[in-house]
Amino acid sequence: MTISNHLQNMLTRRDLLTRCGMGMGTLGLAGLIANPGETIGASKQFSEKLPHFPGKVKRVIHFFLNGGPSHVDTFDPKPMLKKYEGTAPPVSLTTERKTGAAFPSPFEFKKRGESGIEVSELFEKTAEHIDDIAVIRSMTAQVPNHEPSLMLMNCGDSVLSRPSVGTWVLYGLGSENANLPGFIAMCPSGMPVKGGENWQSGFLPGAFQGTYIDSKHTQLEKLIENIRSPHATREIQQRQLDLLEMMNRRHLEEHQDPRLEARIQSFELAFRMQMEAADAFDISQEPKHIQELYGDGVHGRQTLIARRLLERGVRYLQLWHGAGQPWDNHENIEPQHRKLSGEIDGPIAALITDLKQRGLFDDTLILWGGEFGRTPTVELGGSGSVKYGRDHNHYGFTVWMAGGGVRGGTVYGGTDDFGFKAVDRPASVHDFHATILHLLGFDHEKLTYRYAGRDFRLTDVHGHVLHDILA
Amino acid sequence: MGVLSGLSFTSGETAAKTSRSLLVAVVVTQFLILHASPADCFDAISASSESGEEDIRFFETAVRPLLHEACGKCHGEKTQWANLRTDSRSALLKGGDTGAAIIPGDPDNSLLIQSVRRTGDYEMPPDKSLTGDQIAILEKWVKMGAPWGLKDAAVKDSREIEWSTHWAFQPISKPILPAISATDWTRTPVDQFVLAKLAESELKPSPEADRRTLIRRVTYDLTGLPPSHEEVKAFLDDSSPDAYEKLVDRLLDSPQYGEHWARHWLDLARYADTKGYVYGREENRFVHSWIYRNWVARAFQEDLPYDKFLLLQMAADQVAPNDLNAQAAMGFLTLSRRFLGNSHDIIDDRIDVLGRTTMGLTIGCARCHDHKYDPIPTADYYSLYGVLQNSAEQYVRLTPVASPESDNEFEKGLQERLENLHNEIQKHYDIAAGRVRGKVTDYLIAQTELEKYPDVSFSQILSAGDIIPSYVHRWESYLRRSWKEQDPIFLPWHQFAAIPKDEFAQRSPEIVRMIQTGDFPAHPLVISLFDSAPASMREVAERYGQLFAGVENEWQTLIIASKEEKKDPPTSLSDEDTEALRQVLYGPLSPCALPQEDGIVGTEFFFDTGTTIALWELQKKVDQWLIDHPEAARFAVRMIDRNFIQEPRVFRRGNPATKGDEVPRRFPLVVAGEDRQPFTIGSGRLELAQGIVAPNNPLTPRVWVNRIWQHHFGTGIVPTPSDFGIRAPRPEHLELLDWLAQRLMESGWSTKAIHREILLSSAYRQSGSGPEDPQVRQRAQEIDPENHLIWKKDAHRLTIEEFRDSLLAVTGELNLQLGGRGVQLFNGGEEARRRTLYGNIDREKLPNVYRIFDFANPDLHIPVRSETTVSQQALFALNHPMLAERAQALRGLLSQDPEASEADRIRLLFEKVFQRLPSPEEFSATAAFLATTVQNSVPKPTPKQLAWQYGYGRVDLSSGKVMDFEHLPFFTGTAWQGGTKWPDEKLGWAQLTSTGGHPGNTNDRAVIRRWIAPSDLQISIESEIRHDVAKGNGIRGWIVSSQRGVLNQFQLHNNVLKTDLSSLTVRAGESIDFVVDVNGELGFDQFEWLLILRSQESQVAGDDSLRDWNSKRDFTGPLANALDPWSQLAQVLLLSNEFLFVH
Repeated sequence: MTISNHLQNMLTRRDLLTRCGMGMGTLGLAGLIANPGETIGASKQFSEKLPHFPGKVKRVIHFFLNGGPSHVDTFDPKPMLKKYEGTAPPVSLTTERKTGAAFPSPFEFKKRGESGIEVSELFEKTAEHIDDIAVIRSMTAQVPNHEPSLMLMNCGDSVLSRPSVGTWVLYGLGSENANLPGFIAMCPSGMPVKGGENWQSGFLPGAFQGTYIDSKHTQLEKLIENIRSPHATREIQQRQLDLLEMMNRRHLEEHQDPRLEARIQSFELAFRMQMEAADAFDISQEPKHIQELYGDGVHGRQTLIARRLLERGVRYLQLWHGAGQPWDNHENIEPQHRKLSGEIDGPIAALITDLKQRGLFDDTLILWGGEFGRTPTVELGGSGSVKYGRDHNHYGFTVWMAGGGVRGGTVYGGTDDFGFKAVDRPASVHDFHATILHLLGFDHEKLTYRYAGRDFRLTDVHGHVLHDILA
Repeated sequence: MGVLSGLSFTSGETAAKTSRSLLVAVVVTQFLILHASPADCFDAISASSESGEEDIRFFETAVRPLLHEACGKCHGEKTQWANLRTDSRSALLKGGDTGAAIIPGDPDNSLLIQSVRRTGDYEMPPDKSLTGDQIAILEKWVKMGAPWGLKDAAVKDSREIEWSTHWAFQPISKPILPAISATDWTRTPVDQFVLAKLAESELKPSPEADRRTLIRRVTYDLTGLPPSHEEVKAFLDDSSPDAYEKLVDRLLDSPQYGEHWARHWLDLARYADTKGYVYGREENRFVHSWIYRNWVARAFQEDLPYDKFLLLQMAADQVAPNDLNAQAAMGFLTLSRRFLGNSHDIIDDRIDVLGRTTMGLTIGCARCHDHKYDPIPTADYYSLYGVLQNSAEQYVRLTPVASPESDNEFEKGLQERLENLHNEIQKHYDIAAGRVRGKVTDYLIAQTELEKYPDVSFSQILSAGDIIPSYVHRWESYLRRSWKEQDPIFLPWHQFAAIPKDEFAQRSPEIVRMIQTGDFPAHPLVISLFDSAPASMREVAERYGQLFAGVENEWQTLIIASKEEKKDPPTSLSDEDTEALRQVLYGPLSPCALPQEDGIVGTEFFFDTGTTIALWELQKKVDQWLIDHPEAARFAVRMIDRNFIQEPRVFRRGNPATKGDEVPRRFPLVVAGEDRQPFTIGSGRLELAQGIVAPNNPLTPRVWVNRIWQHHFGTGIVPTPSDFGIRAPRPEHLELLDWLAQRLMESGWSTKAIHREILLSSAYRQSGSGPEDPQVRQRAQEIDPENHLIWKKDAHRLTIEEFRDSLLAVTGELNLQLGGRGVQLFNGGEEARRRTLYGNIDREKLPNVYRIFDFANPDLHIPVRSETTVSQQALFALNHPMLAERAQALRGLLSQDPEASEADRIRLLFEKVFQRLPSPEEFSATAAFLATTVQNSVPKPTPKQLAWQYGYGRVDLSSGKVMDFEHLPFFTGTAWQGGTKWPDEKLGWAQLTSTGGHPGNTNDRAVIRRWIAPSDLQISIESEIRHDVAKGNGIRGWIVSSQRGVLNQFQLHNNVLKTDLSSLTVRAGESIDFVVDVNGELGFDQFEWLLILRSQESQVAGDDSLRDWNSKRDFTGPLANALDPWSQLAQVLLLSNEFLFVH
């Protein structure tokens, strides 16, 4: 074959890729994994792991209120706190710091929607969608510290290095769009506590880890690593890739190995990714009314980008509130929580509205919550002074789910009269994870990966699907 | 038990000599015993043997299916809620967390029956109650005495057989070389094994690879680097018969071999330079990681015998206590993640790494329950737990103290910091102990409500007045020991504690009577405590507490008195009985005192939170001094045995809050057999290490030769290199594996000997193309597509280390310096030319490029790296400066000979990258590529930006010249400095920003903003420099021309200096340096300096924009260089599959 022939063939191939958009779904795991860890017959194992049954949702977006939002100030009203205001409630549990008297919520709760679920003024816009939301008021974690609780919520184990939920989902389902990372974690202005460990791939291949994006930036180069060349124009890169493919094809003729072909393709995909990513992150393409719907703050922008990514087949998205732990309001919770909720209430409500009007709501799963909740009692300073804030509380807190397969307008479980501890149908983080996987079409006991002599699962040896919140 | 009991008398030694299968059968008995006490077993057997056939039938037809159906899902083989299993009689008798599930003959008091009746504490099954008939069946069965069929035992038998015959647990055979007729092909014994297997399947090997492929293959396999073009040529030209052997020897002798194979080991040792997430009070970087890394590389290079290699990594403190450098080996254990100080998880990580790395045993699986597949009972996990629990970490200094100490800044600083640390720790050990002595009552009361005190207390912020949970548990184990030793002081305590809570008042008088009548030995003063019956355990605690308070009071009075009388402090109380009580508070094993061998690392949870933070801050000062000081002495962190040994207890379900039985520290049963003895030397770590390398341990050598094979052939003979348990099927080439393992031991555990056996074989030298005969080739592809039989040599894709090192190697830039601390690899500068092995591995902030290219996750033991192909790899290769810079470096090499024609350069390029010439086809394609150049219009830096450079160096005062100018290597986005961290290890505080900066720590680390004249010009310079801190001694500044020397110099302290230099003539290329140093003393030296340079007349024809330069406006980060056509071509070659794959 002559060189010009080679070039001709490649150009058509690339044109083909560009025009048809290819069925990239197939490139998920099968394309990514050539030899995962200690498993044998990887590709076969992989195909067995495609959803165990048809999932209700195809993609997930998780609003992560890092630091721990107070459940008794948002989705879990506790009038009893008013009664005990200023005195110690009969139930008091040990948390990280010392707390004192019952501290009634400074925020007004109202019944919302047809379901009449009470939500505080902090999330009144979100509450307009309450009939689409299943509120889990009996979530529990294991310790009242951020680090282990972040690991538990994100990776299913408080301490050990385990793959994150997004990694498991990507491992199980692959990416719908190989031109974009399949698992993206956005956090404006820096990383949350524990940084990249929150979206780590653990013992699963590194390709499944979350891609971190600092959504404070607006320039594409700063959003995604290596997405543009500072050294050569796209036209030059195209010429380079043509020559590269010719050389690789010649090499392939002498050596039979599927990995060689896979790598040839990866350059084609990378080339297309440069374009598609630019497009996905460019929210200026959105009509004005949509931009207004989300608002012009960094969280509005981040959420709108997220919607564009969901639309393009990104499998798992986490939207963090900000660097460090913004929701960790040990003192002056009233102004602090008000400010924080003001930043995301609108964007969350906008996303639900927008997904609905695009027909995406029914196959998207929306998650909301932090790593734990907060005490119903007031936090005390060193000398016993009152700090008007709340300490960490892992004994009982609230998360919610909305979207495909979720029974909207439901409340699952509950805390005691004060909001200290889950007493009605306590749910573990493993239950939460099992339910997420279930909605995606996985039996959480069967989505496994062989490592260190064990078949590991996201839910370890625990977890029950919360059937009561399923539609 | 009956079937197995005969075996349990077989001595381990005999078994080892005769048949290991016997030994493993013994393992089974031991394993079962852990599930059920011998009494249970006896009970089970007798019950079944006495049961009539009718009973068994009833059981088999009605009970067994019901138990299976109703209970099996949660209490069966797979899941054991509350630790309960219902699939054997013994398990039901043993019961779960809340006790026996059945009492044969007594259905009403059987938990199982209460639960299905839903009358007791439990309602089972949880979601749907059983029907009345079903409940009746179970009641009847329990009433009958719970007869059980014999099938249960049969199930266990099959597992026993599996264990006893599992290939990996058998002794290493001495394989007889297969009798095959010698052929031209068989060069070594390895070939005989390979060929024999191929022949069985009527297959043939592939022909030998060509010489260029061979040298590339073996060079990468041994050194991780490509051969140079010259090396390839020399090998091609070497016609001597042993050319290949010489090549292998040369490579094995190279230091690069040690580096490359060290990295394989570091994957197993979950090597990192940081501890993972820690609280801010603690230094996140290890002081000793790089010392361990270098030790491993050196060990490989010197071919340290593998058994010794392992021994030192686990017990250098005892194997070679006098060999300081050997102590570095223990980084293997001590470089674990910190897990926020949770010792259970730190130990778990060490057990996992140790078991899988050395023996391919997944011992970690037995943390919560007996291993699901392998004969590793939970008790064995806790035996090893005990070994590590009884080992403490210790810093060891490896380099001698520089003398005289007092003149050396580093030594002085270290001394100060260590003293601070040790004094404070000692002080707080004493304060903490004093507080506990003052609160004995509280700590004793706490024993009655242990569940209130978490085992690891990092979840709470504690103040000085609080009961410290870690101390509560220290008291718990002290009391436990006192029970074991029948300590008369606490015997009464234990008697009272054994009374159930609701019967206390009723039964305590009986204990009092026994105490008073001397039914058991009790300390006289304790006897007098109980002349009346206490009403509750709380009261018992209070009475003990008062007693100890009295003793403490007496002791303190004595101390004060001796002080007043200026006598030596007392060493004991005169009354023997009181002194015995004082020992509880002050003795070496006192639950009040902390173990002296620990610093803050092992004791952080024994203090109130404020103290813990303060002590960590002091430890951090020591660590940072050792890490950051340029002349720091080298330290290793090793493990040593504790002075007082604590016997480990099983944590039920892995939960330290639910402690189970005590287990001896001893070697895992699967290897050591039933006759194993508890360890006797210290923690037992040395004995553990010795057991791992013992000649009768078949796992260790097998695992190691398999790993060597794996890195030469891509896949191990056993494809799961860190799991040789039941789930690893017998490998196709077991005889070959055993032969290599034997060879390893015979050679004195020489790794290099095994390399030679493998590399010199014809099997290794095969091409990747498959057998010549197309029919045989097709057959091979059909019957053995995964190449288990080794009929060809599979290609190897470069790892991230090999890829990056190769990029630097082919451009001639690779810096082959050995050893040293971790460096930043992707930030430019000289560090970025070091081998990838030396990259700083930050567990928390590992640059993405590592993960993208399948680097081993440094949190975990990684025996096989993933191999993924993703577009992010391609994006990196296309767009990251790392590749572009290498392409430009290659382009630079091509231009070295100005006479060279285009054809010469193309050939040279191929030689550099591929060590071969281009084919005619490639030649014309590349020529065509160069011929049709396209404008590369990426944004170019402005000429103004190009005029400035940012560096460091010094001013030579005598000559007035700027010396040693180097570019500052790292740009943060707003500042140029030494590296990602500021201060940087090497360049200290040196930094330049758009407005000013900070000089480096010493006068020879002055910061230099350099301006270079773009053409001959007449210029003026306006300068305004500001230093606005009163502290410190200020800074020195210079303006220096490369042509004329010093133009201006000054000292500045809390002041502003404006200068104008008008009318200066500069020549094209002349540099003007704006230099600031610390004026001999570091501290408060930050400055602002605005510089405006104007050309008097525009001598740059027609370019008005070049008439002024402004240090603030023109400030910029790294400038991207547009690739020219030759660089573009060079990059293509670096991206090619030929570059990335080794055949």
